[in-house]
Amino acid sequence: MRKTYLAYLIVAALATLPWVVGGRYVFHVATMITIMIPLALSLNLMLKVGQLSLAQAAFMGIGAYGAVLLTMRLDFPPMLSVFAGGLLAAATAAICGPVFLRIKGVYFALLTFAFGQIVNLVFQEWTSLFGGNSGIYGIPKLSVFGMRFSTTQHYYLFGLVFCAVCYVALRLLERSEIGRIFQALKEDETLSRSLGSNALAWRVAAFVGSALIAGIAGGIYGFYIGFLSPDAFTFWLSVDLIVMNVVGGATSVLGPVLGAIFIVPLPEFLREARAFQLLIYGVVLIIFLVLIKDGLVTLFERRKPG
Amino acid sequence: MVYQMLMNGALAGLIYVIMALGFTMIFGIMRIVNFAHGEFYMIGAFVVLLLFGSLGLPFFAAVLAGGVAAAVLGMVLERLLFRRLVHDEMPGMIMSLAVAIILKSLGLITFGPAEHTVPRPFTGTWQAFGAVAPWDRTVVAICALIILAIFYLFLKHSRLGLAMKAVAQDPETASLMGVKSGQIYRAAFGVACLLAGLAGALMAPIYNVGPYMGEMPMLKAFVVVILGGLGSILGAVVGGLLLGLSEAFLSTLLSPLAALIASFAMVLIVVIVRPNGLLGRTAR
Amino acid sequence: MKNLLDVRGLSKRFGGLTAVSDISFSMKRGEIFGIIGPNGAGKTTLFNVIAGQHKASAGGVTFDERDISGYSSDAIARLGIGRTFQAVTVFKSETVAENLRRANVLRRRHNPLAVRSAAASEDRFRAVASFIGLGDHLDGVAGDLAYGLQKLLGVGMAMLIEPKLLLMDEPAAGLNPSEKREAGTLIRRLRDELGISILLIEHDMPLVMDVCDRILVMSQGAKVALDTPSEIKRDSRVIDAYLGDDYDFA
Repeated sequence: MRKTYLAYLIVAALATLPWVVGGRYVFHVATMITIMIPLALSLNLMLKVGQLSLAQAAFMGIGAYGAVLLTMRLDFPPMLSVFAGGLLAAATAAICGPVFLRIKGVYFALLTFAFGQIVNLVFQEWTSLFGGNSGIYGIPKLSVFGMRFSTTQHYYLFGLVFCAVCYVALRLLERSEIGRIFQALKEDETLSRSLGSNALAWRVAAFVGSALIAGIAGGIYGFYIGFLSPDAFTFWLSVDLIVMNVVGGATSVLGPVLGAIFIVPLPEFLREARAFQLLIYGVVLIIFLVLIKDGLVTLFERRKPG
Repeated sequence: MVYQMLMNGALAGLIYVIMALGFTMIFGIMRIVNFAHGEFYMIGAFVVLLLFGSLGLPFFAAVLAGGVAAAVLGMVLERLLFRRLVHDEMPGMIMSLAVAIILKSLGLITFGPAEHTVPRPFTGTWQAFGAVAPWDRTVVAICALIILAIFYLFLKHSRLGLAMKAVAQDPETASLMGVKSGQIYRAAFGVACLLAGLAGALMAPIYNVGPYMGEMPMLKAFVVVILGGLGSILGAVVGGLLLGLSEAFLSTLLSPLAALIASFAMVLIVVIVRPNGLLGRTAR
Repeated sequence: MKNLLDVRGLSKRFGGLTAVSDISFSMKRGEIFGIIGPNGAGKTTLFNVIAGQHKASAGGVTFDERDISGYSSDAIARLGIGRTFQAVTVFKSETVAENLRRANVLRRRHNPLAVRSAAASEDRFRAVASFIGLGDHLDGVAGDLAYGLQKLLGVGMAMLIEPKLLLMDEPAAGLNPSEKREAGTLIRRLRDELGISILLIEHDMPLVMDVCDRILVMSQGAKVALDTPSEIKRDSRVIDAYLGDDYDFA
């Protein structure tokens, strides 16, 4: 277990790296990592109940558009909008979840895929509200207690805080009775239900929680980037999140964190060509699926026996 | 008007059926959800773009080559990557995503992000019952029907087809009866990718050709397969035609987006009422 | 007092196949009720329908004066019907203690909004472990235990939901003779000491004849006979139903 602390130490050291290296661009990449970590964790939460959700990008989009529009159209304070956007995504999950999660496994993955595509099409086609493919411009900056987030550093710090909150929350969840329930549902649902557990309700709860996290991350992204268009929230973002979980190791909460830290900066070395980014993602994914099945986290954690 | 919509719906539906058949077959036999199915469609189209569009070979030869190229690639990938994950749903699904990303990126690298047009091999229209049908779409529909007929005969009468059906229905008994599963997996993947490649190749002159072209047919195949029941051949046929027709009516009467949302709503209703699809096997 | 369980005209069809056809019977409180019949008679399907895993094609079930037809399996479990499975079903990679803890938690926090009841103690599982005789194996990994002990663990987990009725699917299958005797003793103790009524599917005739108050005989999904063990042994219809099977009516 001591090795886990080594991982924490490395992550903490990496978190301070942008100040060491400096530069606006480094802070930008670091901020993107702090936005992707909660998203990767939100997918991890669904994997904990044994379900692969391809709707995380859609929930991020709902949170982002929701938050930004609340501020731009209804004059909500930006910080309030971020959380309201998260709640909007969670509410969507709460409405869809009981239907989606009646069926499990492959069907759930396919349904969430279709859901994600439809949500994205709505962003594209409902131009009067979402601005269509040309998007939404002129998004104001975030502010907290009257302090305006004027530089990338501010967003980075805020992102770090949100990451830490998500990580600690999921760690506590994993160690609590709920973690035990999730593990039981994932391992043997028939047995768990014969012991009285309402599997559907628990899966919906996980889905709502994961949508909340993804939605808030979306809101932060919206105010940080200052421009929203549908292609930031496609199915391929959900795929990126899967890549992060597989590369980092989905069995642990630390896994997706490591995965995001590893994966997000990768395309920055190849910024010119989206095509080569995809190629590298694909190759990395296959390497991990075939050779390093439990992900980077195995470097730091002992495997449980059995 | 109604005939027009019926005709459009049937044309679209036939392509959906071909896409969905391969997708559902891979799942039925290997329990792998192939997210790369749309990319095999793309490969078929790219081959037509090259052979017919650029080199000027006969259209049908190019279509056939497109199907074969997709099939060969499918069989190679099956052996290298998918065989080890048979019946392991989650990793199988993720592996197919990896393959989809790689094929799409190779498409992007080779052909660029822009869409290319393929010249139309058939032009003009014909009329019946007051409906106007363009010849190119009609030829696609006829080819689709021929492909479906051959596929049906293959499943019904060939040894390989019968063995594939046996494995899909009951893998254990089939293996007891001496069916070699490895061979069946290769065949299933090959045939499924052949179908997807042919569909993409046939559609190349009708829609534009580009690296993202596979996404919409794949989404449609998913919808069809959930409607009809994952793993059900008849379900894919019924679901595909149902989706094609309902889309044709709704997109004419309302809008294409409304049609898509309606088809999604249809899927949700099916999920609630019959979780295994309209024609899916009931779980025991 | 009213019956504990009323099964009324229950049928289950899969496609064209009728697995259970028009089965009716009632169980009194405190009864040990056996179901026997050749393989494929539909006994396990009947269990699955009663426990809510399958929806009945026709008929209904009343438990504890409540119509539970169409209830989900977890709701039925919460109302007080526990079950064990034919193949051992435990969380194989976890310890015995963890298995029992899970059973404890799954019932107590059956949904995300369920309030923790103060009465349910964390350590309740220890009492259950010693009742089923696994007190010394708490740290053993469930999958590594002997087959018989895994089956006992399954019973212990079902006990933790505090059932009024326990459905046991072939608890003695795969056990050696002395373990079978112990299984019989355990079934009686569940009823006598804890007041749990038992619905039992079992192929081991001496055990069934020994512990059951009444027995339902099924063949090809249908009811053949329903009577006390001594009458069942004499019933020619029952012997016919088993013809061709090597069953020993000792």
